Amino acid sequence: MHLDPFELHRPTTVDEVVRLATELAGRFDYLAGGTDLLPNYKMHLNAKPHLVALEDVGELRGHSETRLGAMERLADLEADRAFGRVHPGLSDAIGEVATPLVRSSGTVGGNLLVDTRCFFFNQSYFWRSSLGFCLKADGDRCHVVPQAERCYATFSGDLAPALLVLDAEVEVAGPTGRRRLPLGALYDPAGDGIRRTRLAPGDLLVAVHLPPGAPGRRARYKKLRVRPSYDFPELGVAVAGAWDSDRVRSLRLAVGGVETLPRRFDDLTDPLVGAPLTPETVNRLADEVQRRVRPVHNTFLPPDYRRRMVGVYVRRALAEAREGSAG
Amino acid sequence: MSSPEPGPYRLLGGRIPYVEGPLKVTGRAEYTDDIQRPGMLVGRLLRSPWPHARLVSVDVRAARALPGVLAVLTGDRYPTPFGVLPITHDETAIAVGKARYIGDIVAAVAATDELTAEKALSLVRFKVEPLPEYSDPRSGLSKVAEPIHARGLLGSNIQKEVVQHFGDVDAAFARAAVTVRVRGRFAGVTHAFTEPMATVAEATPDGRLTVWSATQVPHYLHRTLSEVLEIPMHRIRVIKPEVGGGFGGKSDPLPHEIVCAALALETGRPVKILFDREDVFYTNHGRHPTQNDVRIAADADGTFLGYDIEALIDGGAWSSFGTVTTYYNGVLAMGPYRVPNFRYKGQRVYTTKPPSGAMRAHGGTNLRYSIELALDALAEKLGVDPFDLRERNALPPNSTTINQFRITSTSFVKCLTAVRERSGWDAKFRRLPYGRGVGLGCGFYISGSNSPIHFTPKMPQSTVHLKVDMDGGIAVHSMQADIGQGSNTLLAAIVAEVLGVDLERVHVQRVDSDVSPVDLGSYSSRVTFMMGNAAREAAESLRDRLVAAAARTLGEPAGSLEVGHERIAVRGRPDRFVTFLDALHAAMETSGALTASGSYRSPTLGGTFKGARAGTAPAYSFAAYVAEVDVDVETGAYRIPRLWAAFDCGRALNRLAVEGQIEGSIHMGLGQVMGESMNYRSSRLLNPSLLEYKIPMPQQMPKVEILLVGDDDPEGPFGAKEAGEGPLIATLPAVGNALYDAVGVRFHELPITPDRVLRGLDLRAAEHRPWKGA
Repeated sequence: MHLDPFELHRPTTVDEVVRLATELAGRFDYLAGGTDLLPNYKMHLNAKPHLVALEDVGELRGHSETRLGAMERLADLEADRAFGRVHPGLSDAIGEVATPLVRSSGTVGGNLLVDTRCFFFNQSYFWRSSLGFCLKADGDRCHVVPQAERCYATFSGDLAPALLVLDAEVEVAGPTGRRRLPLGALYDPAGDGIRRTRLAPGDLLVAVHLPPGAPGRRARYKKLRVRPSYDFPELGVAVAGAWDSDRVRSLRLAVGGVETLPRRFDDLTDPLVGAPLTPETVNRLADEVQRRVRPVHNTFLPPDYRRRMVGVYVRRALAEAREGSAG
Repeated sequence: MSSPEPGPYRLLGGRIPYVEGPLKVTGRAEYTDDIQRPGMLVGRLLRSPWPHARLVSVDVRAARALPGVLAVLTGDRYPTPFGVLPITHDETAIAVGKARYIGDIVAAVAATDELTAEKALSLVRFKVEPLPEYSDPRSGLSKVAEPIHARGLLGSNIQKEVVQHFGDVDAAFARAAVTVRVRGRFAGVTHAFTEPMATVAEATPDGRLTVWSATQVPHYLHRTLSEVLEIPMHRIRVIKPEVGGGFGGKSDPLPHEIVCAALALETGRPVKILFDREDVFYTNHGRHPTQNDVRIAADADGTFLGYDIEALIDGGAWSSFGTVTTYYNGVLAMGPYRVPNFRYKGQRVYTTKPPSGAMRAHGGTNLRYSIELALDALAEKLGVDPFDLRERNALPPNSTTINQFRITSTSFVKCLTAVRERSGWDAKFRRLPYGRGVGLGCGFYISGSNSPIHFTPKMPQSTVHLKVDMDGGIAVHSMQADIGQGSNTLLAAIVAEVLGVDLERVHVQRVDSDVSPVDLGSYSSRVTFMMGNAAREAAESLRDRLVAAAARTLGEPAGSLEVGHERIAVRGRPDRFVTFLDALHAAMETSGALTASGSYRSPTLGGTFKGARAGTAPAYSFAAYVAEVDVDVETGAYRIPRLWAAFDCGRALNRLAVEGQIEGSIHMGLGQVMGESMNYRSSRLLNPSLLEYKIPMPQQMPKVEILLVGDDDPEGPFGAKEAGEGPLIATLPAVGNALYDAVGVRFHELPITPDRVLRGLDLRAAEHRPWKGA
């Protein structure tokens, strides 16, 4: 397998990136670590003729307790013990991404916008040609859900659920200037599974911002996978909350790794605020989340098992978050 | 680690770092892909996207016309069939007439660079007629519309059928007090060695062809190249550079090796073919997907009365070692216990999937899993401890099995005793809380297949040559294939031990058919035993000449001299000596450089019935392992915190290498238990990558305690037997039985993924069968 030739651009400012992105719209990908993109390019998965490398754009680097540059490397966050203490859930998620080697290249923005995965997509050109290709690349049908008109490939980032429960916002630069939107609004459920975000041509993810209350929130991220490293999530459950003695002051829950997008379940958690979290309410919450998610058979573990684990992981994440240190 | 008692040898029995280690860890060791030749071309293979198709016609004109393309080959150019076993030549270098699986090679090109080669492949146009896909071996048991190979039994896809019956199994079952049955199902697994296959070939104007290849068996490659390319062997030179692991996957002569040589012949230029990981998965030759049915009968005191075994083996598209596989899936039930009555029916069936073949502990692994689970059930039914049951039935040393395997040394009972004590078995078995458990698994394996695949039995299976000149360096030549298991180190150590010199004097030469005498290579755990004996004989012959020269110099009788510490001295009088170099130079006065040769041929073994040679070996290794598991009963995930491995490899000659083989075998065995699986949707391999083929991570490895308890084998070199494959087998049932002790479910299907664990727990709950109070 080889990389087809591409033109590499190395802008140094956000303005320059936006200009390039506008000019090359549809014909480029951002290179923000490359740990997923380059293997996909070798498999000729939607490879583009241009790559815009973001590593020289200084503004995209660096982190504080409330701001993560989009190009901040996961290993740099991991090495910051103080950051890990105030963001236990995020720290869980970062430490569970792939392997230390991948985390030394992988970035915050790269993980939030990482491509979705499917057994019938993440294959070589030869493999896919033998099957007749699929909706997501070079073809017109889905091999997982027959007659599907949308793509069911699985969201495979670990950071998104952990940031969603912290009410993170993303800062986006685009041709018309900068804007901020909730991380949840970055992902577009109205998309077809191939287009999954509300980013427009020319847009660049600049940073993730965390609200002032986020540091110290009791949070956990729990990841299901076959092996304790290397593997993408087969399920990821994040919770964050605050408690007054036993009474819930705030609670957020998000799930990734089972559907095309990560999602938060505010309509299930908001009603729990103000009351104690009893085993019954926890079970009801876990059961309802489990009932709602719809994994399909496109990863290693069977969908019925992954779904069953949603309930278990919700219960465990909640229990561990409540026991965990508030920092 | 058990602490070794001081042995009788200076080097052997110690911990000897690999002689090539410094080169490997500094990146200096030369692997096949490191070889660069002037003007070298890139060879690339076009693989079939069809599971089964008739190749009606092919148009290669556009590919040939592409600038930078020097050759395009299709199957008609070198159509001679080949295969590792002479009786089943059903492979061709490139598909002839039909493609038989997704990944089968249908064309090849040589071009100046990768991109041109791949572009050329995309221009090859086939007209094909799709043929029926046979992905399930059961579909091939009777006459089929389009047999995958014409040689299938009676128009079916059955490649090999074995039926054996010793004693009277029906009578044994009729009088049995207890019977047990396990129906095992095993996904295919693959070797997943580190170094993908690679071959370089060059045809030179002197009429010779040189082939460098990542192979375990240079000699069979040499023969096959000669047969298919129709060039006499003496005009072909096969070189084996360093090899980054094989585990059986590089033991067949493989199509790409022949294609590479053919492209070199066609173009007159050197050609390299380097595989990526997906190519490796399609080449496979891994452990067969298998279903077996094992029934065991015993009398009331636990004495085994008989085994009744069936196996259905999914062969994939080629025969490979399949005939051996079909025998092994039955006859490797013959140890480590006495089996007085035995019946076996095995069928290996072609399917339109990547070929299966020999993989570490070939033929013994899946069978052993089912047997050992059945024995655990038998012990439970009888109310006896699993250790006691096994000990009662252990094969004694110097015995003969009912199918006439000759058992000489066995320290199996010592393995049982040691592992029972070290694991704390008696305090743990059925006494750990729900979710935790211990399990015993045992095994045995051949220490070198007694039957050389190609030779008449008159020729030795291994020959070693030594040459020492005035510089005092000892060159060792042999076609044994070090693939990372440490055979070069052992070869050097044996020579140094016998000659009483330092290890650094001994230089094991790269395998090169022009100068290396034939050894059959690295398969069937034969190298230590066979090469070791040949090396010992060669070194002793050299030593005797040095001692004779020293005797002349010292004026002492040769019988009074001993070697050691680079000297030849009078026994008991260490001040009366000549140095190794002085003795050497004295010996050279008559002959110049000294050369010596040693060889090994195995004894005549086995019965005279059909298939009697399958599984015969000059010795057998034995194992008894205990695994401890910790199951998360809510998720089905489990850990294996500890594993105790008692192993009988006779005398361990290089403890470092033996321990490495045992730990590596445990890792590989755990892979097959915990998650490794070639997953198919019909004939399509879903996970041809190391991301989705789930080799265990380092965090999943247990803390392993190795107990080397073997007594010297009477025929093994310095008492040694194999340690390369046998150590894998016991791993799997030890975990399977530990899971039963933990949660009360016998998992008959591998791999045991967390979802299967939960399904097992659900079933147990549905049967209202409580376990340890849960």
